[in-house]
Amino acid sequence: AGGGRMIDRLRKWYYNAAGFNKLGLMRDDTLHEDDDVKEALKRLPEHLYNERVFRIKRALDLSLKHQILPKDQWVKYEEDHHYLEPYLKEVIRERQEREAWNKK
Amino acid sequence: KRFYSLKVAPKVASSATAAKVKLSPESQDLEITKLPNGLVIASLENFSPTSRIGVFIKTGSRYETTSNLGTAHLLRLASNLTTKGASSFRITRGIEAVGGSLSVHATREKMAYSVECLRDYVDTVMEYLLNVTTAPEFRPWEVAELQPKLKVDKAVAFQNPQVGVLENLHAAAYKNALANPLYCPDYRVGKITSEQLHHFVQNNFTSSRMALVGIGIKHSTLKQVAEQFLNIRSGSGAPGAKAVYRGGEIRKQTGDSLVHAAIVTEGALVGSPEANAFSVLQYVLGAGPLVKRGSNVTSKLTQGVAKATSQPFDVSAFNVNYSDSGLFGIYTISQAPNAGEVIKAALNQVKAVAQGGVTDADVTTAKNQLKANYLMSVETSKGLLNEIGSESLVSGTHTSPSVVAQKIDSVATADVVNAAKKFISGKKSMAAAGDLGNTPFLDEL
Repeated sequence: AGGGRMIDRLRKWYYNAAGFNKLGLMRDDTLHEDDDVKEALKRLPEHLYNERVFRIKRALDLSLKHQILPKDQWVKYEEDHHYLEPYLKEVIRERQEREAWNKK
Repeated sequence: KRFYSLKVAPKVASSATAAKVKLSPESQDLEITKLPNGLVIASLENFSPTSRIGVFIKTGSRYETTSNLGTAHLLRLASNLTTKGASSFRITRGIEAVGGSLSVHATREKMAYSVECLRDYVDTVMEYLLNVTTAPEFRPWEVAELQPKLKVDKAVAFQNPQVGVLENLHAAAYKNALANPLYCPDYRVGKITSEQLHHFVQNNFTSSRMALVGIGIKHSTLKQVAEQFLNIRSGSGAPGAKAVYRGGEIRKQTGDSLVHAAIVTEGALVGSPEANAFSVLQYVLGAGPLVKRGSNVTSKLTQGVAKATSQPFDVSAFNVNYSDSGLFGIYTISQAPNAGEVIKAALNQVKAVAQGGVTDADVTTAKNQLKANYLMSVETSKGLLNEIGSESLVSGTHTSPSVVAQKIDSVATADVVNAAKKFISGKKSMAAAGDLGNTPFLDEL
């Protein structure tokens, strides 16, 4: 139990050190867009996709001005939803299924 | 001995005592059970090397409302989408791998999902069939990808002008339910949502409206499968509206030089005593050529119309039965300039029959043709499955072919004449397509 809390604290520290939350981004906004992520993005419901586009636009704007958001608007570790994860997992599972079939 | 001539080939004496080889054990009888939740299970173990299993559901385009038209059509095309147990890819590849096939056939009143495969692989394809009928997921992106197929499907179907005329005929003849088109209306393509599909399945694919039919499979296997897997949605689902006949006409002016016209009145319900009379009347009048590309001289309708025109034409009697209504009438295809004469001559022929102008010999010939047609249609496993399934849905029983033949034989000439009278006196509906300059309106007939 103590070990678990240690790992959590480490995770939170790393999240804040990484710094993308200061630009108002969530973890899934920063994923490298390989084929799987592109396919998962196609499957996002519209409201999630629009929110993602807004966040990225805002972050690009801040980055060009060399600014960051005020501290009260930073994304908190607890509020960071991994919204793309279920879709991404499904896409990867389907791709692996297809590869397994084609190998047979 | 010359080895090259057949004449001196050594004769093989056929042994008269060789054991007779039976191709397959005697086919068993059809077994039919009705589960307490309303599901009907029917199976015919005929020991054939292939099995054919179908899930029949009492649903179709008639159960749509104006807010979800086209859902049944999209559902027809959606049989290979991802389900809870298998992804779309797996269903396609899995069925291909065992050499089976999954198909959907839908009418206004029933949908039939059927798989066929070699006996040994029945378990595999059955799993996919059950997944598709009970647990489809209708993922939004898959449904969105499917919508353009609606257009393609419709375009392919409407290449045949009869499809368009029959859709219009139903729309003209009924106020609701049966008036719904089989094919998705254009304005709905791209707008059918995954929720509507889910809703449709939840409300219509219930146990009491389904029948599980198998040919070439043991009854106990089917029963086990049904009790375990097809028990998910009980109840009778959303009731369909009762079809109300109204009798109207729809005309579609195109530049086509061939005019297709159908004129009908309300006919008989499935399974009613008049149904057989109307079927026999259909064959008395002429229900399509019996000799391919022949001139169809024996059909009364053809004879009557041939007196009225020398241009090419085609005419046949049209008969369709639904669970709470039916349509009976004539279908004519004629050259645009003399469409009027053809239609009037055809109607006069039916009038002649209604006034008693039909002999017993005619009726017997028609009965034989009807019986032959029916028996030939249940000879194939596909036709047989369809027949068993449809009947299980409607009544939960099965009428053997010999009983069907008897019922056809019991139709009297007077019944046929009465059926014709009903057509002449009933409120008519009409649908026509083509260059309609010379095609009469209903009130001119």
